[in-house]
Amino acid sequence: MIKLLKELCLINGTSGDETLVRNAIIEKIKDFCEYRVDNLGNLICFCKGKKTAGKKLMIAAHMDEVGFIVTYINEDGTLCFNEVGGIDTSVVLGRQVKVGNDGISGVVGSTAIHNLSKEQRETPPKYGDMYIDIGASSKEEAEKYVSLGDLICFDSEFVELGGNCIKSKAIDDRAGCTAMIQLIREGVEYDTYFVFNVQEEVGLRGSMVSAFSVAPDFAIVLEATTASDIDGVCGAKKVCSLGNGPVVGFMDRSTVYDKELYKMAFEIAENLEIPCQTKTMIAGGNDSGAIHISRGGVRTIAVSLPCRYIHSPSCTANTEDFENMLILTRELAKRIQEL
Amino acid sequence: MDIKDKIIALSEAYGAAGDEIPAAELALEMLREYCPNAEIVNGNVVGKFGTHSAEKPSLVLDAHIDQVGMIVTSITSSGFIKVGNLGGIDRRLLPAQQVVIHGKKDIKGVICSIPPHLSNGDGKVLEIADIAIDTGYSKSDLEKIVSLGDSITFDVKCRKLLGNRITGGALDDRCGVAAILHTLELLENRETAYNVTVIFSAQEELGERGAKIGAFSLAPDIAIAVDVSFAYAQGEDEKKCGYLGKGAMVGISPCLSREISNGLINAAKSANLPYQLEVMNGLTSTNADRYSSSREGAKACTLSIPLRNMHTPTEVIDVADVVNTAEILAEFIGRKDV
Repeated sequence: MIKLLKELCLINGTSGDETLVRNAIIEKIKDFCEYRVDNLGNLICFCKGKKTAGKKLMIAAHMDEVGFIVTYINEDGTLCFNEVGGIDTSVVLGRQVKVGNDGISGVVGSTAIHNLSKEQRETPPKYGDMYIDIGASSKEEAEKYVSLGDLICFDSEFVELGGNCIKSKAIDDRAGCTAMIQLIREGVEYDTYFVFNVQEEVGLRGSMVSAFSVAPDFAIVLEATTASDIDGVCGAKKVCSLGNGPVVGFMDRSTVYDKELYKMAFEIAENLEIPCQTKTMIAGGNDSGAIHISRGGVRTIAVSLPCRYIHSPSCTANTEDFENMLILTRELAKRIQEL
Repeated sequence: MDIKDKIIALSEAYGAAGDEIPAAELALEMLREYCPNAEIVNGNVVGKFGTHSAEKPSLVLDAHIDQVGMIVTSITSSGFIKVGNLGGIDRRLLPAQQVVIHGKKDIKGVICSIPPHLSNGDGKVLEIADIAIDTGYSKSDLEKIVSLGDSITFDVKCRKLLGNRITGGALDDRCGVAAILHTLELLENRETAYNVTVIFSAQEELGERGAKIGAFSLAPDIAIAVDVSFAYAQGEDEKKCGYLGKGAMVGISPCLSREISNGLINAAKSANLPYQLEVMNGLTSTNADRYSSSREGAKACTLSIPLRNMHTPTEVIDVADVVNTAEILAEFIGRKDV
């Protein structure tokens, strides 16, 4: 499953053009379910189970990742750009990127440290102070390869670190996509909708419409969520920790989760003897925000992979947490449909 | 191996200041093609080029082999690595960078990045004391691989950009090393006006220390530091920069020898080679400063390759400037009257 996660993470799918990710997913699932692509690009899959439950369950993850967009081409051939989704500029400066559909290599540059004032050295850069250098020596040369509006991705390796950890761009939310592919391929007990959404990072746009189309009674959102169990952070501010199992939160910035499903998740984890944790801060948000208030309301829970340095080229997660996230989701889906 | 691939290979070799061995060994292997007697002496790669004769003045071509990096200062109880800096690091771009820790074996890590919900929006750049590296390992497992004092470099593969430009993490100053190697290539089978010795010196980023001992040992009459300097880019002061692709930058400064500066300029002019001038008003912050004031002094000059984003994992150069640097040097060193 880690091989599949790696394959998906390395595909570029900045919000707004998830085509390559969607095509790769379709290749993996087309023989195992019915599927269609809606007007926004959401991939909606229906998996026939052995039984049909009285209530409709939708499992969802998003295909898009944070990235950038070309906003202007300077006379010297460098590119002005802005973020797509929320990205702290400190993880943008000094990175390699891929620009546009042809994946033109570039780097994010700014004034050399030697030429900054003391105050400037202590201040994070702004998007307006950085540029992307693709090696073009003039605007004319750059225009042969790049157009305004071209999307940009981090150019970052997938690496296995120590202690069962992996590092890559886009673990948020190719982890959720990978788990769904796995569930589709192994088959389901009850009829289930699996939805691969677009545009989560720019305001949950994809899930708004796919939740309307599918009109589920219940939803499980599979995500990656901020863990900051890092040096110098203690107590509640860690939010959640790598190695402590999948994260099931009670509330975040977008959603107050269904209390019965919340309790059920922890009960299942206890019975299966797998770790499971909640979040210790009200932070972040995900497609649940759009899904749970779709139509007349959808009873929703999110199961997330704890992930350090999320929205950076170096998202870091634990593979055991990922395995446990799948185990928990599989059982949770079954239990929900037996409600 | 063409020059672009040579620059890439050199740039991808590790050699943080004070721990230059992998990069130095690669450079040594490349140098031995032209200087079979080359060896590593107290960290510096040194090779004598061609046959030296008593009547010729001696000339040293210097490029530094080290790169900026970090060093392990402690390992926390949770297994995070705390660091000090080796040279001038831009702390603004450290969060979430991928690095390699050069322990008993090389292992990869990620520099911890405080997520926005904890930064309180105060927008401060982390002090080096607040930097920590995440390897995934526990303290006890990590201690089997990593020791205090191990060096750390950015983990970056070079990329070819459009045209003749490339990006990489240690182009400062491996492109200078490549320029000198290419100079020797151009000088092969040519008489030289000088007894030429090449040095790829250590610890430049820590205050030109390798060059200090190199200058004493080699005691040249003339020394040319082949290093990098600022290429104009968005956010830079155009008046203080060279341009990518417009040739090597000949240094002019009260601390440099005007005779050599003019010699390099005339060499470029006579061969119709492009060049740019880099005027400084005192010390150059390059190894040239060490040669000029070593022992009884030397006529020193800088010849710099324009580079963007200095001391970052995303340095950018134009390979044409590296070739041009070598051509100017070969023209300056090669004897014209034979």
